[in-house]
Amino acid sequence: MNKTLTKNLLVIQALAWIIGAGLPAQDMPLEEVLVEGQGWELVGEGYKFTEGPACDPSGRLYFTDPPGNTIYRLGEDGKPEVFAKDAGHPGGMMFGPGGRLYCTQGAKRRIVAYDAAGKIEVIASDVRSNDLVVTGKGGVYFTDPRAKRIWFVDPERKKKVVDEGIERPNGIILWPDQGTLVVADTNTANLWIFRIENDGRLSHKQPYYTLRLTRSHAPKSGADGMTVDRDGRLYVATHAGVQVFDTQGRISGVIARPQNAFLSNLVFAGNGMQMLYATSSDKVFRRKTKVRGLLFASPEKSPSKP
Amino acid sequence: MRYSTALVILLLLTSRASAGDEQYVLGADSKRKDGTPVGKVTRQSHKSEIFPGTERDYWIYVPAQYDGSAPAAVMVFQDGKWYVNEKGQFRATVVFDNLIHSGEMPITIGIFINPGVVPAAKKGAKARRNRSFEYDTLSDQYVRFLVEELIPAVAKDYKLTRDPKMRAIAGISSGGICAFTAAWERPDYFHKVVSHVGSFTNIRGGHVYPSIIRKTERKDIRVFLQDGANDLDNLHGNWPLANNQMAAALKFSKYDFGFVFGEGGHNGKHGGAILPDTLRWLWRDWKPQAGKEEARKGGKKQ
Repeated sequence: MNKTLTKNLLVIQALAWIIGAGLPAQDMPLEEVLVEGQGWELVGEGYKFTEGPACDPSGRLYFTDPPGNTIYRLGEDGKPEVFAKDAGHPGGMMFGPGGRLYCTQGAKRRIVAYDAAGKIEVIASDVRSNDLVVTGKGGVYFTDPRAKRIWFVDPERKKKVVDEGIERPNGIILWPDQGTLVVADTNTANLWIFRIENDGRLSHKQPYYTLRLTRSHAPKSGADGMTVDRDGRLYVATHAGVQVFDTQGRISGVIARPQNAFLSNLVFAGNGMQMLYATSSDKVFRRKTKVRGLLFASPEKSPSKP
Repeated sequence: MRYSTALVILLLLTSRASAGDEQYVLGADSKRKDGTPVGKVTRQSHKSEIFPGTERDYWIYVPAQYDGSAPAAVMVFQDGKWYVNEKGQFRATVVFDNLIHSGEMPITIGIFINPGVVPAAKKGAKARRNRSFEYDTLSDQYVRFLVEELIPAVAKDYKLTRDPKMRAIAGISSGGICAFTAAWERPDYFHKVVSHVGSFTNIRGGHVYPSIIRKTERKDIRVFLQDGANDLDNLHGNWPLANNQMAAALKFSKYDFGFVFGEGGHNGKHGGAILPDTLRWLWRDWKPQAGKEEARKGGKKQ
């Protein structure tokens, strides 16, 4: 077969494929995520309650033990080591611009950011919070479950309530391109999504994703921490397990919990961000996947100062 | 050489995969006929309150025979762009022209609606695609959108029927289950349903319809289903099994239903090829208003 003919046939083939394919399916089954034969493995244990998994720009995992007042990270040997003590009941965390670690401090009623040396800057004070997400520009969205509120702290550190009324807003995450915000409701089957306006306000609220419930917890999903991969899949820690959704809000499937205990949060970290880490009660687990997580903020970019 | 072998295998695979569809071709009623009046199609856009922030295009087809003297029947199509396309697999407006001219369906205004999207405010960010939420969800939200927002917008300019028997709704894939859900939720509004390769699978819980149909007092709706043996089998379910379950449930509960199960895949080829007959079946007992029949049938009167 000569080269031109082959080329032409390939073009015809491609066209036939497009036309003949009919309707776009765009399914994202779990087999695109899970690695056959690879399950959860233990990373660390013996904590009071693990939360707040975060990935630093080098792929290193950080996590919190809120009742233990401690932030941990994985050492060179892959074993957890202390990053910060007396951390004020640290909850949700995420790395933001300039490689700084943003963290909710329940006991101190504030949001803070740690630099690489462990120095703290207060991002917001006099606020109750549970989980947060940091945008590429250094804005912070965080949830206040008790007051049923979502807050936004802009890069100039001005804070405002941007949504009220979700039953128990908990986990909070962005779509990969940061145009859309997702908030998990622990007490219902709903994950709410919003369009992010250019000034940080939220609009067009919709219960876009519907969670699977367990008979024993219904109508509560237990939806807590969330993460996304580069393809736009959404991963949610729930009573039923890690629920995975495609980019159209359709459930792709449920990954089994790492242990028969509360599952609080998730993040992709490690080399290439292909390792899915899960915080669950007294332990931290991980499993290898075929997908990649992402960082919302560039480690080089300096956040604007007040 | 290995390259071309792979190519040949690829070609063989493709031709095999589409073999089920090749037998389905458009007939005379899906093509323009000399002397048949051609209706007018206009493109519109709509911003929704019921699906907050969504924007969408839709098309209104008005048959040449419509003069506003009497209310027109209404037929709503989901994924409107696929049905309204005169070069597509369905060519619904051409079929309408032909069947309205022959008197086999009433003077019908077609409303061809695309699913909604919420564009991102941020430049370059992905829009929220609302198709699955609108079509696959088992609720009355979509039919409320039709009844309270979109159809009233069309009714501003055209006289539309208030008789549920004169309203039909159709769709393909998720649009098929959407059409069924609309009539299921509001049988007092939509009487007639057409589903092409309908997604009665677990995308957002739609797989439960067969059992619900069996255990719910029969509703006054007429349902036409089309599917094929080569339709999808994926994480959401198995389309051929699901459509057979639907047909069995409709039969069990003594519905006025039609089911055509062929060999096609997940596309509109079979559904498009039989669309004229489907519409004949759907509208088989519509009654022309007294005095209008003569005019409508025109020269065809024996």
